[in-house]
Amino acid sequence: MSDFLNLILEPLQDVFHKFKDFAPNFLAMLVILLIGALFAWLLQVLVLKLLDTLQFDSWSDRKGFTRLMRKGDMWGKPTLLVSAVVFWCTLIVVLMTALSALKINAIDQLVTQFFVYLPRAFSSVLILAVGYVFSGFISRAVLIAAVNSGYHYAKLLAEAIRILLTTLILAMVMEQLQIAPGIVLAAFSIICGGIVLALSISFGVGGIDAARRMIERQTAAEEKEKTGEDIEHI
Amino acid sequence: MSDFYQTGVITTLHQLGQPTLDRLESELLAFSKTRPIALVLPALYSEFEGPAMPGIVQELAKVKYLNEIVLTLDNATEKERKRVQEFMSPISTEIRIIHNNGKRITEIYETLKRNGLNPGERGKGRSAWLAYGYVLARGRSDVIALHDCDILTYSRELLARLCYPVANPNLNYVFCKGFYSRVTSKMNGRVTRLLVTPLVRSLQQLVGPHGFLAFLDSFRYPLAGEFCMNTELARVNRIPWDWGLEVGSLAEVYRNYSPRRVCQVDIATTYEHKHQTLSVTEIDKGLMKMAVDICKSIFRTLAAEGVVFSDGFFNSLFVSYLRQAEDTIMKYEADAMINGLSFDLHEETKSVEAFTQAISIAAQTFTANSMGAAPLIPNWNRVSAAIPDILEMLKIAVDEDNK
Repeated sequence: MSDFLNLILEPLQDVFHKFKDFAPNFLAMLVILLIGALFAWLLQVLVLKLLDTLQFDSWSDRKGFTRLMRKGDMWGKPTLLVSAVVFWCTLIVVLMTALSALKINAIDQLVTQFFVYLPRAFSSVLILAVGYVFSGFISRAVLIAAVNSGYHYAKLLAEAIRILLTTLILAMVMEQLQIAPGIVLAAFSIICGGIVLALSISFGVGGIDAARRMIERQTAAEEKEKTGEDIEHI
Repeated sequence: MSDFYQTGVITTLHQLGQPTLDRLESELLAFSKTRPIALVLPALYSEFEGPAMPGIVQELAKVKYLNEIVLTLDNATEKERKRVQEFMSPISTEIRIIHNNGKRITEIYETLKRNGLNPGERGKGRSAWLAYGYVLARGRSDVIALHDCDILTYSRELLARLCYPVANPNLNYVFCKGFYSRVTSKMNGRVTRLLVTPLVRSLQQLVGPHGFLAFLDSFRYPLAGEFCMNTELARVNRIPWDWGLEVGSLAEVYRNYSPRRVCQVDIATTYEHKHQTLSVTEIDKGLMKMAVDICKSIFRTLAAEGVVFSDGFFNSLFVSYLRQAEDTIMKYEADAMINGLSFDLHEETKSVEAFTQAISIAAQTFTANSMGAAPLIPNWNRVSAAIPDILEMLKIAVDEDNK
């Protein structure tokens, strides 16, 4: 009978011991989460105040960041968006730290992977931001140059260059984030290769006559030099 | 109108002979190929529940030459906006509704405010200004026509005659204002008859010959809410957001263009819309508020033209105005008698007394703060200089709202 009782009690005792070992970790996780959430909220308020002081909203309105938000159908203030991003990023880091306090192997591995991935995520955001400004600048420069030289399709050309640069930047970001790098590389190569091939063919076919004229002109000039047909005054 | 007299410094286009709507519309259809026309309708939701809007929609459904209709809807919930969209569905022309109370448009106003640009308070001026911005952002139209949404006697001939002078590439007009008589069984249009015209003529007496006063006096109905202009004018004109909208807009047209490029056109034999009350005790409501705002706008424009206003000047103006207004009442009494219209002399005299008080209030306000006397919304060139992407953002907002 006592054996039978032991059979029932032992698993219960095991569970109790495991819970006793786990409880402090769980409590630690809750405390980290609570303090972390408070910290994230404080950071959000701080960032909001700082951006307000720096008149970030007006800067965004003038520099195109607000337009970018509106294109994505986001209709809040830019400062609110940035501070919300800061809050949620901090909260995710806090959550990961809190989960690591549980000391569970599977979660520990996940947390390690997350922190290893962080620099990649950060650098891809940086590439995206710099790339956006860069593509805008180049597109604008092309537009101004093309308009000044009287090119009829200046806006189309500038827009095409902007789209091309955006595609390149997105490919770089995807590569950095390690999202199907093989497919991204192949797709990018095919697109760029296709564009270059199309341009070569169109320029080649369209420019046959021009190229022939240039070569004929060159050859005629050389032959004239050889035969010395020019009339020279004494 | 039976005469063909040319009034003042601008061109007057009369309604002569037989009505020619078919010819006008077929010509407008041809002109619209090279000069696409947008119609701007500033409206309150309550106007869709009134008697005028069904008639306007019925008439607009027959118009073929319009490129786009931009309706600025104020005081409406999202549900009501959808109802309005449904209401406008008989019209085949592309319609865009700017939902003034929507979150996207509210954010556009916020964007302007935080960059130091004041879009003014709710009203027809702000609604019209925003609609011009959207037309400019789309870049699909060269001509903008605007009329109110409370016209009970609306016919599409009104719109055709309004658009014709600006849409016709052979006529070199940039701005065209509508005119009509406001007559039912009696004469309406008290503010124009008994305030604006006598005031302008009194000012001419005191100031002497003046370009702006001559320009303003040339209009047969300077407070008419119906006008047509080219889009360039919509870009450079500042717009008052208060009741000084019509007079202030004319002042901007005078400032930016030669009177030779401005005309007025007879658009209707009869015109009826909702009437406002005139109460001397309530200076912030109805016709009294309108009268004060109009006077302030005129004073501000004249001050900008170099006219000096002193206490003595204003004292002379009150007396001069009263004399002019009394003479005007006599003229209209005779006009009413010969046409068999009822004429309440006592009411007309009371109106003049109220308008005298309005001039006095406007004078006090102007003397206290001449810069704030006539609030103007900055023009779209100025706004685009401060926020280069504002027109694109406005376009995104309206397009998203209309999805």
